Amino acid sequence: MRHTLRKKRDEGMPKSIPPRRPGRVRAPADDTQTGAFPVVRRRPLRTLNSNATRVRLVTSVLVALMCALLGFGYAVQVHNNQSSYQSLSEEELVRVLDETSNQVDKLEERKSQLNQQLTSIKSAADKQKEAARIAQQNEQSSGILAGRLPAQGRGVVVTVTEDSDRVDASTMFNLIEELRNAGAEVISFNDVRVVTSTYLLDTRTGLQCDHAKLRSPYVVKAIGDPDSLQNAVQIAGGVGSRIKVQFHATVSVEQSNSVRIDQVRRVQDYQYAKPVE
Amino acid sequence: MSAILGLILGVVAGIFLKPDIPIVLQPYLPIMVVAALDALMGAVRSYFERSFSDRVFVVSFISNVITATLLVFLGNQLGVGSQLSTAVIVVLGIRIFSNVSAIRRFIFKG
Repeated sequence: MRHTLRKKRDEGMPKSIPPRRPGRVRAPADDTQTGAFPVVRRRPLRTLNSNATRVRLVTSVLVALMCALLGFGYAVQVHNNQSSYQSLSEEELVRVLDETSNQVDKLEERKSQLNQQLTSIKSAADKQKEAARIAQQNEQSSGILAGRLPAQGRGVVVTVTEDSDRVDASTMFNLIEELRNAGAEVISFNDVRVVTSTYLLDTRTGLQCDHAKLRSPYVVKAIGDPDSLQNAVQIAGGVGSRIKVQFHATVSVEQSNSVRIDQVRRVQDYQYAKPVE
Repeated sequence: MSAILGLILGVVAGIFLKPDIPIVLQPYLPIMVVAALDALMGAVRSYFERSFSDRVFVVSFISNVITATLLVFLGNQLGVGSQLSTAVIVVLGIRIFSNVSAIRRFIFKG
């Protein structure tokens, strides 16, 4: 029994074991490796033939030519791509044109907007300049009117010299009013600038005008049309002759091309009056 | 070797000659270049697979270029030129990618 069993095992072993051995597992790998060799070996064989060498030369030249064509085309295309719209298709060109015209429209719109802005700013600047000019004019005229600015121009100088009688305030005030009626723009009374609020008072020693005591001779300077101013004073039966007749004072009127009035008045602060907006 | 030499020669010639290609040919040139590139990649792959054949390369090169050009030309005739050229470029690009990956597998064995 033992013998037979061993024999069976011995017989069975060679059959059953070889599949498990590594040799057989390697076999496929050997196949692929050996399969690669003939391909490598084939090359030197081909070169031996002189005719084949020529063919090989021709084909390699052909390959080189193909590759050269490829490289050439590549280089040309790269160079060509950098320039312009020549290679674009019709649709693309239309699209580009549309985009460009759109952009042009937008830019035109922007331009007109900016132009409008410019004109409005310009007109605003003009208005401002005009306003500044008017303000300056106003400032000058109201400054002269309010006695804030010294003034000069054509006019007359009236000198009233008392003899024995004193000239009273109402007559002198009449003189000033006559000058004003004749178009005097700026009047000064001795050292006092005559403005709208100027008053005259009689005092024991002479006249009082806006807190200042005045004495003869009274010098009234007026800027205006010299002829009409002179007429206003010297007209027959006028204030000049009244002063002469009533108070025996001498009245002289001199026309002058340059009457200069340097007396100024501080601007009055209005406590109650406010301008109407 | 001759392929690399030819490539360099062609690029140099293209750069220095700066030829004006005819306008009729202009839309097809990029397609032709890509098709040729595909053929070249196929050739490199077959070289690595040791089954490179000069004749096959030349024929595939020319047929690739002509087919691509004809396709785009047909597309232009039918009014779908840009789409068809995109399609051709995509297909050729896929082929180039697969060829390159095959070459990579041959070089890195992985």
